[in-house]
Amino acid sequence: MIGRRFKDAIALRRWLVAAALVCAVIFPGRGAAAAEKPLPLHARIDRAIREAYDGPWATRADDAEFLRRVSLDLTGSIPDVETARAFLDNPDTAKREQLIDRLLDSPQYARRMATVFDVMLMERRGGNRIAAAEWQTYLRESFARNKPFNRLASEILAADGARRGPRAAAKFYLDRGGEPHLLTRDVARLFFGMNLQCAQCHDHPLVDGYLQEDYYGIYAFLVRGYIVKDKKLGVEVFAEKAEGDVKYQSVFMPEETHETGPHLPGKPPIAEPQFKKDACYEVAPADQVAAVPKFSRLAELGRLVAGGASEAMTKNIVNRLWALMMGRGLVNPVGWQHDDNPPSHPKLFNLLADDFVRTNFNVKAFLRELALSETYQRSSQLPAGVTVAQVPDDRYSVATLKPLSPEQLAWSMMQATGVTDVRQSSALHKLAGDDPRFFELLEADAPRRAIKASLLENTVHAGLQGQVGSFVNLFTGLPGMPDAYQASVQQALFLSNSPQVQGWLNPASAAGVGSLMAKLNQVEPTGAVADELFLSVFTRRPTDEECGMVGSFLAQHPGEGRAPALKELAWALLTSAEFRFNH
Amino acid sequence: MRCRYACGSPEHMIARRTFLGVLGAGVGMAAGGSGPFLRPAMARQLEQSGRRMLTIYMAGGLSQLESWDPKPGTDTGGPFRSIATSVPGVRISELLPYTARQLHRLALVRSINTKENDHGKGRYIMETGRRQEPSIDYPQLGAVAAKFLAPEDDPLPGYIHITPGGNGFSKQDAAFLGPKYGAVTLGNGKPPSNSVRPEKLSETEEVNRQHLREQISQRFNLRRRTAQTEAYTYSYEQARQLMLQRSVFDVSNEPPKDLERYGTHDFGRHCLLARRLLEKGIACVKVTHSNYDTHHENFNFHIEQLSEFDRTFATLIEDLAERGLLDTTLVTVISEFGRTPRINHQFGRDHWGKAWSSVIGGCGIHGGAVIGKTNDNGTEVVDREVSGGHLFHTYLKAVGLNSKDEYTVNGRPVPMADPEAEPIEELLS
Amino acid sequence: MSDPQPAESAKAETAATPPSPPPKAEPTKTHLVADFDAGSPLISCRCDPSGRFVFAGGQNSAIVRFSLADGLRTDLLGHQSWVRGLAFDPSGETLYSGDYAGRLLLWPAADESPKPRQTIEAHDGWVRGVAVSPDGTLLATCGNDRLVKLWSTAEMKPVRELSGHESHVYNVAFHPDGKSLVSADLKGVLRHWDVASGNEVRQLDAGKLHKYDGGFRADIGGIRGMNFRADGHRLAASGITNVSNAFAGVGNPAVVLFDWKTGKEIRILLSKAGHRGTAWSVDFHPDGFLVGLSSGGGAFLLFWKEDQPKEFHQFKLSQNARDADLHPDALRIAVAHYDGHLRLYEMREKPPDAKPEAKKETAG
Repeated sequence: MIGRRFKDAIALRRWLVAAALVCAVIFPGRGAAAAEKPLPLHARIDRAIREAYDGPWATRADDAEFLRRVSLDLTGSIPDVETARAFLDNPDTAKREQLIDRLLDSPQYARRMATVFDVMLMERRGGNRIAAAEWQTYLRESFARNKPFNRLASEILAADGARRGPRAAAKFYLDRGGEPHLLTRDVARLFFGMNLQCAQCHDHPLVDGYLQEDYYGIYAFLVRGYIVKDKKLGVEVFAEKAEGDVKYQSVFMPEETHETGPHLPGKPPIAEPQFKKDACYEVAPADQVAAVPKFSRLAELGRLVAGGASEAMTKNIVNRLWALMMGRGLVNPVGWQHDDNPPSHPKLFNLLADDFVRTNFNVKAFLRELALSETYQRSSQLPAGVTVAQVPDDRYSVATLKPLSPEQLAWSMMQATGVTDVRQSSALHKLAGDDPRFFELLEADAPRRAIKASLLENTVHAGLQGQVGSFVNLFTGLPGMPDAYQASVQQALFLSNSPQVQGWLNPASAAGVGSLMAKLNQVEPTGAVADELFLSVFTRRPTDEECGMVGSFLAQHPGEGRAPALKELAWALLTSAEFRFNH
Repeated sequence: MRCRYACGSPEHMIARRTFLGVLGAGVGMAAGGSGPFLRPAMARQLEQSGRRMLTIYMAGGLSQLESWDPKPGTDTGGPFRSIATSVPGVRISELLPYTARQLHRLALVRSINTKENDHGKGRYIMETGRRQEPSIDYPQLGAVAAKFLAPEDDPLPGYIHITPGGNGFSKQDAAFLGPKYGAVTLGNGKPPSNSVRPEKLSETEEVNRQHLREQISQRFNLRRRTAQTEAYTYSYEQARQLMLQRSVFDVSNEPPKDLERYGTHDFGRHCLLARRLLEKGIACVKVTHSNYDTHHENFNFHIEQLSEFDRTFATLIEDLAERGLLDTTLVTVISEFGRTPRINHQFGRDHWGKAWSSVIGGCGIHGGAVIGKTNDNGTEVVDREVSGGHLFHTYLKAVGLNSKDEYTVNGRPVPMADPEAEPIEELLS
Repeated sequence: MSDPQPAESAKAETAATPPSPPPKAEPTKTHLVADFDAGSPLISCRCDPSGRFVFAGGQNSAIVRFSLADGLRTDLLGHQSWVRGLAFDPSGETLYSGDYAGRLLLWPAADESPKPRQTIEAHDGWVRGVAVSPDGTLLATCGNDRLVKLWSTAEMKPVRELSGHESHVYNVAFHPDGKSLVSADLKGVLRHWDVASGNEVRQLDAGKLHKYDGGFRADIGGIRGMNFRADGHRLAASGITNVSNAFAGVGNPAVVLFDWKTGKEIRILLSKAGHRGTAWSVDFHPDGFLVGLSSGGGAFLLFWKEDQPKEFHQFKLSQNARDADLHPDALRIAVAHYDGHLRLYEMREKPPDAKPEAKKETAG
C-alpha cells in the first residue's frame, strides 16, 4: 500500500495525515491517557546523558566499585566487611536497588546528610550561639524524616531562634553574627545558587543574570534582622525590626538612587501590609527585648520558599545533590548559576527541577533515582585506549573521582581498621547486658530493629566522634569557604606517623569482635588474609597478582615478624590513593 | 557605598573572569589545572642564584612610635626617647639599642599607609601585597619564594614558618601556586608534627610500608590517575624526605655559644633555627614574634617584647652579614599595622594603618636608606606614601623576579603583584 | 575646710575647753570640690605634707603644681620623660621626682616658681617609685634596672644599692618606724629590707597581682600603689588581678592587704561589681578604712573596711584616672585624670550653698 506512487503532493499530504492518525491510535504517545507508566527519572537521566555525547563510555562499575561508592555517598563511610562479602556474593540481580534502599533507610544516611548540609550551609564556621550538637541533631532529624527540602529551607530562612520554628534552625543567621551583607551573599549563593558578591555594587556589565536589584531584593528580606539577647528567653535570638528601607546606588551611576522592597531573584517585590507608625510591632524593640514586627519579612521569605516560589532555589538544591552523587554539578562550579555559565545539560536540568517539585522536594527519592541511574553507576576506570586528557569534563562518560571529605576519610579509616566494629560490638553487648528484655523486644519487628540500629549508631558515633577533629583540622581550608581538596605534607605525615592512626592499626577486640589487625593475626592462609584485608579496606577482593604480592611479603616476614608485616600491609592499603578517593 | 573591588582595575577583571565560572570560587582551583610558570631559563637562573628570604613577623601591630619612627617630646611620643644609630642622622627608639648598631645594613620605610586597621585584613595586605578579595586568593610572599627560589625537586619545604606556639597547619597561604608551596609550620620551633617515625616502627619497616604503598597504588594509578591523585602521592614523597632530613629542624645542633648569643628565650631559639634553615638553603623562613597588640599598657609591654626582639634580631643580622649571607638574603620586619599616636586612658595604643613603618634589608637593598616621612607627631604620612603593594613589588624585584610579571592560572593571567603599585626604586640598586 | 593645726593649738592654750575634733570623713558623701586643668593627660599625683599643694605628673613630662587655696597653677619643667614617682621630705620643703628617663630631680616645693635644684642619674631605665624615710634622712628609689637605691638626702649621695628583684621594681615604701623598707615588683614579689644593714629580711607574696599572659606572651601586673597603715601594722599593695586578657586590660582592680608582723596576706580586696581595670593607688585613712582608685572600664574610688573583701562604698568618677592621693586633711582625695584634669573630691556632705570650685585659670 504504502509503496504506491502518488500523483500529486496534496494526495501525499492527505495520506500522511491519515497515516499519522492511524499511528496515533495504534501507538498512543506520551500525551495519551495513562495506560502506560512514564519512564522513571533515572531512565530519563540516562537517556539525556546518552543523547548529549557519543562516547566513548566507561563500562558499568562492577559490584565492588558500586558498593563502595554508594556507601560512601549515602552513608559517609565504606561498608563493613561482612556487608561487603554478602553483597559481592549475592546472586540477586536486584541487589543494587535493594542496597540503595537499605542505605537510604539506615540511621547513617541521616547522619551523612546532616554532615553534608552542615558543611554546605555553615562552611566550617565556628560560633556557639547555637551549639554544633543541637544543629546537627536538627539536621539529622530532618533527614531521617525525609523532610521536604522546601520546608527545611523555609525553616532555616525564616528562623528567629525564638518563636518561629526550631531554634537550632537559626544557626545559619546567628552564627554568622547576623551581618546583613554577609547573610545576603551566603543566602544567595547557598540557597539560590547565585554568587551575587559583585552585585552589591552594580549590575554585571556583561551578564544579564546577576542584578544589583536581585542582591538588594534578598538583602531587603534580611536587613531588618538583628541579634539581641532576649532577657525573657535568656538566649540570643535573631529579632526583626519593622522599619528600615533599602536604598542603593550603582557605582557606575552613583547619582541614581534606587529603592526596593524584598523580592526573590527575578521576581516582583512582595506585597507588604502598611501599618501606622506606632502600630507596626507585636513586641516593640527595647533593651534586651527581641522585637517582633506584625509583618515579618523573614517569615515571608520562609513562606515563599516553602511554596516553591523560587525556581532558582529548586535548581540550586537539585544541582548540589546531583554534584554530591556525580562529583560535578550540571552547573559548575556549584553556586554560579547564571546565563554565561549554563548547565552542561540544560534540558536535563529543567527536567530534574520539575521532577523535584513534582515529588514535593523529596530528597531521598531524588537521591534514590540518581543512585539507580546508569550514569551514576558508570565506572571511573577509563575505557581501554582512552587517556584522561581525552575525557571531557562534563559529559559523565566516565565517573569522576571524588576525594573523601575529612569526615568520610576518618570514618572510613575507622571502619576499615575495625575500630567501628569493635565499638559497635561493645555497645551491643552493653545494650544486651543492661536490659535484656528491652534488647529482646528490639528484635521483634522491622520498626523496632530500626530503633536498635539508631541507638547503636548514636552510641558508636558519640564514642568515636572525637577522632574526627584532627582530620577536619588537617584536611580542610579556611572557614567561610566551600571545602576544597588539597594534599599537603602535613596530612601525609599525620597519616604516616600520628599515634591516632597508628593506634587504629593495633589489634583490639570487644565481646568477641576483633579489629582488622586482631582478625588478620588469627588468619593463616595467604588467600584468606588477602581476602579479609582487601575486603575490609578496599571493599573488593584482591586480584591474583595482589594475592601473590601479599603472599610473598608475608613469606619474607615469618614468626614474630608476621604481625608487624600485616600492620604494614594494612597501612599501605589505608594510605593508598585507592582509599583516599571515592572512585 | 563604595565598591571595594575597584571597577576597571585588574583585580576586578579577575573577579569578573572568576565570576564567569572559569576559575572557580577561590581555592578550588588549587588542585590540578596548569600551574603558574616563568620562562624556564629564568627559572633555573633564579634557583641557582641562592637568594633567600627572612621575614620577622611582629604579630599584633608593632608600635612604630616605640620602634622605627619615634617622636619623643611630643603629645603622642610617650615616655621613651630616641637614640642615634649606625646611620648618621637617623634615630630610632631607645628600646632598640642593639638593632640601632645594625641599622646601616637595613632600610626603614616610614610612610606606610595600608588604610587598614583590621588584624586579618592588615596581615593579608602585608603578606600578599594585595587587599583580600572574595573571588581569588593570592599567595603569600613565602610561597612565591618557595616556588621560584627553591629548586623544583628540593625535598625540603621551601617555605617554613616558625611560630611561638601552635601545632603547625598552614591553610592555603600558597593559594593557586599549590599546597606544595604552602608554609610548613614549626610550632614553637619544634620539627613538624608527626615527623618522627612511630616508636614501634623500625626503619626497615618504614621502607617496607612505603614500598608496599607504592606497589598497591600502581594498579589504581594505571587506570585512574588524575592531578589530584598525583598530588596525594607526591605528599608522601615529601613527607618521607622531610622525615629523613628532620635534623635540619633541630636547633640544638647549633653551637652552644650561639644558643647563648641569641638568647635562651623562645624568640632567640627561633631566630637561631632560622639562621640554620637559611644556611641549609630554605627559600623563605618566617619567624613570628608575639605579641604587640598593646591596647593596654603599651609602654610596659613594648619594653618586654622589644627587649627580646632587639638583641636577637641584631645578632641574626650581624651573623648573616658576617657569613656573607646578607647579600643574598632579603630581610623584612613587618606587622599587620602600626599603633595610634594617641595614647588611651590605660596607657595603650590602638590599631593604626594610616602612618606606620617597616624594615627591609639585604639582597641589594640600600643599607641606611630611609623612605618617607611622617609629620611631627606621627599622625600622618607627609612624604612618599606607600602600601603593602609597593613593598611586595620591592621584595620580588630585590630577589630577581620581575614584579610586573603575570602568572597563568587555569589559562588566565594573574599579576604577580598589585598592578596599581610598583617597586620602591630608591631602595634597589 | 579645716585649717592646719596652729590656730587650734593656740586656742587650746588660752582656753580650758578641749579643741573640737577634726571633722570625720564620710565616704558615702564624697563629692567633687575642685577641678584644675593641668593641660596634659596625667600620670601621677601627690599632696604635699603641708596640705597646701597638689603636684601631678603629666604626659608632657611636666609636673604641675596647684595651690589649693587659690587654684594657681605652676608648671615645674625639667624632666624629659614621664613622672610617676613623687615624694616629699617631712616638712614639705623638698619635692623628689623620678622620671622614665631614669632621672631624679629635686625641687624647692614651695617656691613661687620652682626650678630643679639637682638632677641625678638615678637608674638605668625608668624610675618607678620614690619614697622618703619618716625622719627625712633617706630617700629610696626603684626602677626598671631591678634595683632599689637608698640615698642620703643631706648629700644626695647613694648610700646603698639593694639588688635581688628579678623584674622591674614598681614601688617602694618606708615603714613608719623608719627601720624597714619594702620594695615591690612586676611579678608581685615584695621584699622587706632592713634599712640599717641593707639585708633582705623576708619576702611577702602579692603574686595575685601578676600574671604571665600566655596568649600574648607578656607579663602583666606590678604593684601600682603601696602604703603602710600609720601604726605600721598593715601594708596594702594595689594592682590588677584575674587577668583574662592582658593586652585589652581585662582584669579586676585589687588590693592585697598584709599583716606586717606575720608578713602574710590577710585578704584581697575586690570590687562588688567586678569592675574592669587596675587599682592604681591605695591609701589607709586614719579612721580605719582604705581608699583606692580603680580605673579601666570606668573609674571609681573604692572604699573598703579591712575586714570585708568588698567595698562598703564606691564613688563613680566621671573620667578615667591613673593615680590618687589622700590629702593630709584626711577629707580630700586628689585624683590625676586621663583628661588632663586634677580633681579633688571631699568625703563630706556637700554644703547646700557651695558650688564645686570652678576650673581655675592656669598661671605660671
